[in-house]
Amino acid sequence: MKEVVILSGKGGTGKTSITGAFAVLAGQQAIIADCDVDAANMHLLLAPDFAEKSDFYSGELAVIDSNKCTQCGICAYKCRFGAFSLSNGTYVLDPLSCEGCGYCQITCPEGAISLVPRKAGQVFVSTTKVGSTMVHAKLDIGAENSGKLVAKVKNSAQELAKLKHKELVVVDGSPGIGCPVVSSLAGASYVVLVTEPTVSGLHDLERIAGVIQKFRIPMGCIINKFDINPEMSNQISHFISSNGIDYLASIPFDPSFTKAMAEAKTIVETQSPAKLIIEEVWATLTKKLIN
Amino acid sequence: MKIAFTAVGTTWDSQIDSRFGRTEFIVILNEETQQLEVIDNSAVKNEAHGAGTATAQKMYELKPDVLITGNGPGDTAATALKNLNMKIFVDAHNLTLEQAYNSYKNGSLKQL
Repeated sequence: MKEVVILSGKGGTGKTSITGAFAVLAGQQAIIADCDVDAANMHLLLAPDFAEKSDFYSGELAVIDSNKCTQCGICAYKCRFGAFSLSNGTYVLDPLSCEGCGYCQITCPEGAISLVPRKAGQVFVSTTKVGSTMVHAKLDIGAENSGKLVAKVKNSAQELAKLKHKELVVVDGSPGIGCPVVSSLAGASYVVLVTEPTVSGLHDLERIAGVIQKFRIPMGCIINKFDINPEMSNQISHFISSNGIDYLASIPFDPSFTKAMAEAKTIVETQSPAKLIIEEVWATLTKKLIN
Repeated sequence: MKIAFTAVGTTWDSQIDSRFGRTEFIVILNEETQQLEVIDNSAVKNEAHGAGTATAQKMYELKPDVLITGNGPGDTAATALKNLNMKIFVDAHNLTLEQAYNSYKNGSLKQL
């Protein structure tokens, strides 16, 4: 089983549009994992059915035992995040303000406060519109993506790939180079980087390529919207060729991407010239990954 | 010599875990006694953040001479491990512990 992870460093380069297109081209050959959980949006393109749901817990949350609480107010005084407030003569906790640090638990003289695992969202296993299996997640308000959640989504996708005898796992990663990105790289066979010809596009490409090199994972790069700044595209091409990164394609700026998105379609379901380019990249990738 | 493996299971034929920070288990082979010691890493695995440095800290407690793992520690964990006198061998994540140990013995594993 091979795993291809799509990353960008910078956000907004077209990573998910391209991952969605790959997912449609892969059809039932691949398991899809959306690890960009902070801004999970691949479900808009792939119309998954949200068939299986499970709750996801991350971090902790304070709870007050009203039987033990004497309304002394020490928790409200001690909490650095202002999570406790007096409401109709009773101290209550605002879960959005609570950081789960546990200071209130230590300082409560009545032992009325305990920490419980905090529900952070839900993980789904779905069937997409092309019949493939997709693992994805949705965060609750105020919750953040984490290496832990990415590991859970990825491990579940890998297990399903083994179970269903699929040769490929396609992973949509997070922007940036932080914990969720590092977590999405574990065990990856190949990384596709999607960048754009802007100063921050190149800067963030350099940073993400540095992280991937540390893990010795082969990678290739797509320059999206290359014609909006040909000079910067040249600089990116130079960076790619001098750092052992495969050059995969240059895609011209094309409003069809946005139009397709508004129709809940991927670019390969339209007649855009970009369709052919992405099909070619996908053919190259599958050849590279599956002999 | 004490050899540590990041592992998805607890036995000699378990796969190497590609993850360092969030590895399921740390399995330690004592070459003198040929005994396997298993350390459950699930508490670290379930931390939202900081898994790499937490597992690095465990390495300081266990003090193995050699670590055999998959993708290898990330930047922060690698920095934390610098002062530990431990050789790190990587890219063993498609192997079982036994296969990885044999590859290490015949010198075919990549050292960081």
